[in-house]
Amino acid sequence: MAARVLQQCVRSLGRPSLRLCPVNLALRAAVAPAVPVHRPFSSAADSRRTRWLGQSRISSVGLLCRQYGDLPPLTLETIKDRVLYVLKLYDKINPEKLQVTSHFMKDLGLDSLDQVEIIMAMEDEFGFEIPDAEAEKLMTPEEIVQYIADKKDVYE
Amino acid sequence: VDGTVHMGSRLPPAALSLKQFLQRQKVLGVYRSMLRTIRQVPDEADRKYLRGWAREEFKRNKNATNQDAIRMMITQATNHLEELQKSLLLARS
Repeated sequence: MAARVLQQCVRSLGRPSLRLCPVNLALRAAVAPAVPVHRPFSSAADSRRTRWLGQSRISSVGLLCRQYGDLPPLTLETIKDRVLYVLKLYDKINPEKLQVTSHFMKDLGLDSLDQVEIIMAMEDEFGFEIPDAEAEKLMTPEEIVQYIADKKDVYE
Repeated sequence: VDGTVHMGSRLPPAALSLKQFLQRQKVLGVYRSMLRTIRQVPDEADRKYLRGWAREEFKRNKNATNQDAIRMMITQATNHLEELQKSLLLARS
């Protein structure tokens, strides 16, 4: 009977907001719709965890699942989205001209100092350091996506 | 371009000499180290200011061609970098 009461409580909760309360985390996450929704990101300063948990797929309503403190697994698609998102935020890039294959120097008119800044922004976004020797070779968003997928063992 | 190495290979005229190439790598390395150090500054407003300052300094001089002048600027940048690192250490202790 306790289970039935609990299920009723769970169903009555609204859609999860970006600000997740840690206590109700499991309940709210269980109610989230199975289809991931594209939410507008309020600010780049939001923690990655908050942002990505809002988009995670949840199996079935009513099933309480434990949410361990880790980020959802990376896919080529999500890496690409995040890379492009960071690039669109960069003030020197015109978001309309940006393609996955745009070359920073040849297509987007950036210089090597800008490229350093871009790679640093990628380090901040994905949370790991990229050594100088490898960083200077990354000249298109596609190459960055490939590099990160390599380093993070993402296959598809 | 001064100092281009003529080895009989088909290098484009704008290619850098080895010395220039190494110097360019050094500059980019100092810029990267600067940005990494600035990341450790505790206050966000300070970080923003320092990033803007570093960017300005490097951009302003990016078209310099005199190797001695460039070497001097690299030394200056490195000194700034070390000062910043020392300040951060002191602030932490």
